[in-house]
Amino acid sequence: MTTTLARDAAPPDAAIRPRPSKWVWSWTGAGVFAVAALLLVVVGYLVAGISSGSVDWTALLTDASWSPPNAAYGGLAMIYGTAVVCALALILAVPVSWGAALALSEYLPPRVARPLRMCVELLAAVPSIVYGLIGIMVIRPVVAWIGDVPGGDSLLAAGIVLAVMITPTIVAVSVDALTAVPDRYREAAFSLGLTRREVIRSAVLPLARPGMRSAVLLGLARALGEAIAVFLVVGRADGRLPTSFDGFLHSLVHPGQTLTTKLAGPEPVLAGTSGPYFAALCGLGLVLLAFVAAATIWGTRGQKRGTSDKRAPAFRGAPRMRVERDRLAMGLRLGALLLPTALLLGMLALLVTRGSSAFNPSFWFTSATGAAGGGVRDQIVGTLLLIGTTGLIALPLGFGAGILIGVHASERVARLLQTLTIVLGGAPTILLGLAGFVILSSIMGWGRSWLAGAIVLVPVVIPVIALATSARVRSMPPELTESALSLGLTRAQFIRSVVVPYAWPATLTGLLLGLARAAGETAPLLFTATVFFGAPAFPSGVVESPVQALPTHIFTLSQDSGDPQAVTQAWGSAMVLVLITAVLLSAAVALRNRFEGERWTT
Amino acid sequence: MFSTKRRLAHLASTALVLASLATACADGKAGGSGALQVSGSTTVAPVAADAAEALKADGLDITVATQGGSAGGISQLAAGQIKIAMSSKPLADEDKAASPDTDFQSTQIGSDAVGIIVTKKVADAGVKNLTVDQVRDLFEGKITNWSVVGGPDLKVFVYDKEPGRGTREVLDKYIYGDKKAPAPPESDNFAIVGGNLETRNKLKSTPGSVAPLSTSFVEGHKDLAVVTLDGIAASPENIASGKYPMSRPLYFITDGKPEGTAKKFIDYVLTTKGQKLMTKHGYLTLKEIGK
Repeated sequence: MTTTLARDAAPPDAAIRPRPSKWVWSWTGAGVFAVAALLLVVVGYLVAGISSGSVDWTALLTDASWSPPNAAYGGLAMIYGTAVVCALALILAVPVSWGAALALSEYLPPRVARPLRMCVELLAAVPSIVYGLIGIMVIRPVVAWIGDVPGGDSLLAAGIVLAVMITPTIVAVSVDALTAVPDRYREAAFSLGLTRREVIRSAVLPLARPGMRSAVLLGLARALGEAIAVFLVVGRADGRLPTSFDGFLHSLVHPGQTLTTKLAGPEPVLAGTSGPYFAALCGLGLVLLAFVAAATIWGTRGQKRGTSDKRAPAFRGAPRMRVERDRLAMGLRLGALLLPTALLLGMLALLVTRGSSAFNPSFWFTSATGAAGGGVRDQIVGTLLLIGTTGLIALPLGFGAGILIGVHASERVARLLQTLTIVLGGAPTILLGLAGFVILSSIMGWGRSWLAGAIVLVPVVIPVIALATSARVRSMPPELTESALSLGLTRAQFIRSVVVPYAWPATLTGLLLGLARAAGETAPLLFTATVFFGAPAFPSGVVESPVQALPTHIFTLSQDSGDPQAVTQAWGSAMVLVLITAVLLSAAVALRNRFEGERWTT
Repeated sequence: MFSTKRRLAHLASTALVLASLATACADGKAGGSGALQVSGSTTVAPVAADAAEALKADGLDITVATQGGSAGGISQLAAGQIKIAMSSKPLADEDKAASPDTDFQSTQIGSDAVGIIVTKKVADAGVKNLTVDQVRDLFEGKITNWSVVGGPDLKVFVYDKEPGRGTREVLDKYIYGDKKAPAPPESDNFAIVGGNLETRNKLKSTPGSVAPLSTSFVEGHKDLAVVTLDGIAASPENIASGKYPMSRPLYFITDGKPEGTAKKFIDYVLTTKGQKLMTKHGYLTLKEIGK
C-alpha cells in the first residue's frame, strides 16, 4: 500500500529535454543588428559622402543650375521634377485606386472580388523594368501625340508610368483598410434607410480613411524611390524650372530630371568617391532618402492610429436625388475598377503577343548571341544565382529580426525597430546600388560581381521577411504563450520551441515575396553586378565575377536599341522575368493561404 | 528538428558572408583569377565585345561594360575596378590630375568621326551643311526651327549626350575649342541621351531631332542623315587627314603598360584580324589613318 504511489527514483531522460538555446539570442540579435547596420550603411555612405567635400545646401536646394564642369551644383530642378512627377502620379492614381478599392470591397460580390483582388496584388509585384518598357513603347508615343511634341520623353510620361505602377499598391492597401471595417457599421447604417453611397460615406469611409490615406503615402514612397522606369521616359534634361503657369503646363510635356534619374545616370560613376561633385550627389541622395522616409513613416503611422478616428461626419441636410446620386457613385466606382482591369489585360496582351519568344523553349535554354540574338539562358541563371544568394543571406537575418520585433517585451523598442525596418524596406534601391558601388567596388576593391549584387539586394528582402514574421508572431494566440511559459520554458526555449515553428510559414511567404521583388530590381545591379558583354553563365570567381541578369538585360535592350529584333528580345525577356516573379508570388500566395500568413501587399 | 536545421542554415550563411569578406580582403586590388574587365565607351564596346568573343576560343575570359561612357571607364580604371578602359576621347589633363597615382597608358586602336545627325526629312528639305555657328546655336537652343538654317518649318529637338560621353566632348571641342562648355540650355526641346544605340533609337523616333553621334552608327539607316560641317564631309580621307573637324581617335587605356591578358587582348585588336573589326563596325583602321 505504501509504495504504490512512489515514483521511479530515476530522473527523466535528460536527452529528450530541450537543450539550452543560447544561440537564439545571438541569432535574433544578429538579425536586428543587420537591419540597423544596413540602414546605417546607406545613411553613413551618404553622410560620409557629404562630409568628403563641402556641400552648399542653399544652392543644392534653391538653385536650378546643375553643371559639374562649371562647379554648379543646384538640385532644385531635380526636386521640382520629382515633385511634379509624384504629384502627377498621385493625381492620376488616387481617384481611380480609391474608386476601384470601393468597388472591390463594397459593390462586388466576394466571388468576383476575390480573384480581381488577387490580380491587383499580382500587378503590384510586376518588376518596374517592365513598366519602363511599356513606358517606352506605349506611353512615350501617346504623350508625343497628346502634347503635340516630338519624342514624348517628358515629366508627364514619367508621371503616367508611375501612376500605373502605384495604382495596384494603393488599391490593395485601401481594400485592406475597407475590409477591416466591421460589417455591423454597414448593417446599422443600411437599417437607417441610407443608400449604399450614403452608407459608404457616413459609416465606412470615416473608419477606413486613415488606412486609405496611408495607402496613398505608401504609393507615394514607391513613386519617390522608383528610378529605372522614370529614367527610361523622363528625358533627363537638367535645369528646367517654369516661371509661369503656362510655363508649368509647358514643362509637363517636355523632358525633365528627377532625383532618382540623376542618381541612376552616369554621374555617380564619374564623380569619384570624394570632392564637391560626389558630395553634391550624396546630398541629393540624402534629400531623396528624407522624402521617402517621411512618406513611409507618415504612411505607417496613419495606419497605426487606425480606426480610432471616429469623428462623426457633419450633418449636411437632406440631399436631393439620393437614388440618382447613388447610381452615379456606383457607376463611377465600378468604372474606376474597369481601368486597372483594362490595364492588366492590356499589359498581359502586350506581354503575351510581343514576348511570344518566351514560349519557345530554346529561348530559355540558349545563351545570347551578339546584342540582340539567341536566348536568355545566362541571364536566367544569373538572376537565379543572385536571388538564391540573396535569399540565403537574408533569410536568417530577416527571420531573427522579425522574431525579436515580434516577441520583444517593450512595445516602444519594438515599434522603433519596426519603423527602422519599414524605412529600410522603403529605401530607394538606387541608393542601395550606389552605396554598394562605392563601398564594395571602390573602397573594398571588388569588381562587379554576383556577390556584390546579392549583397545590395539583401536590404530589399530582409524587411519583407522581418515584417511578415513579426506580424505572424504578434498574431500568436495568447494561450500558446501562456501554456508555454507555465511549463517553465525559458524565454530562449520558448522562442525556439514555440515561436519559431509558429512563425516559420509566414517567414517563408515573406522570403518568397521579398525575392519576387528582388528578382525585378534593376538599379542596384547596374552598378554592382552586371556587364554589357562577356559574363559567363556561371561565375568562375567570387568578388570579381560579374553575371548577366534579366532586369539589366531588358534595361539595355529597351534603352539602347530601336531595331525590331532587340525589341522582341526585350519583350521576351520581360515575359520570362514576369513568369519567374509570378512563380515566386504564386508559391507565396499558396503558402499564405495554407498557413493564413499575413497579407503581403503592404 | 526545426531549430537544428535553422541553426545550420544560419551557420552556413554566416560562413558564406565571412568567407566572401575574407576572399575580398585577400584578393584586394591584386586582380585575382576573375575575368579581364573592360569598361567605358559605347562607341568602342562593339569592337571590344567582338574581340572578347574571338578570344574566348583561346580560353580568355573578358567582360565588357559600358556604364558611364568614356569618362566612366577612365574613372573606374583609376579606381582599380577594371583593367582596361575604352575611350572615344583622348585623356584630358583633368583626368590625369584627378588620379595622379594612375599611370595612364593609351593605345590607339583606330579612329572614328562624330557626325551631326539629322532626320532624313530635315536633310531632304535642304539641311545638308551646317556651320560651326549654326551647330552651336542649335545645341544652345537658340535655333528652334529648322527653317532658320534652310530646312523645313519644323521644330528642332536636340538630343545631347550625357556628361562624360566621348561623343559629347568631341562636339564641345568642335564648338567651343578649349573653352568650357556652358551649362545646358533652358530650352524645352532638349533631352539627354546616353549610349550610341539609345541616341540612334531616339533620333529615329523623333521628327526634327538632331544629335551628335558616331557616323558609323548611322550607316545603313536610311531615315537618318549626316550633314557636312563647314562643307567638309566625314569621308575616310577627311578623317585620316584631320580635315573633318569632329574626328576622334579610339583608345584602350591601361594603368601602366598592358601586361598578361590585357596585353593579349589589346594586341589582338591591333592585328590585321582585329583591325577588321574596326572596319566591320564602321570605324577607320590605324592603317587607313596612316598610323
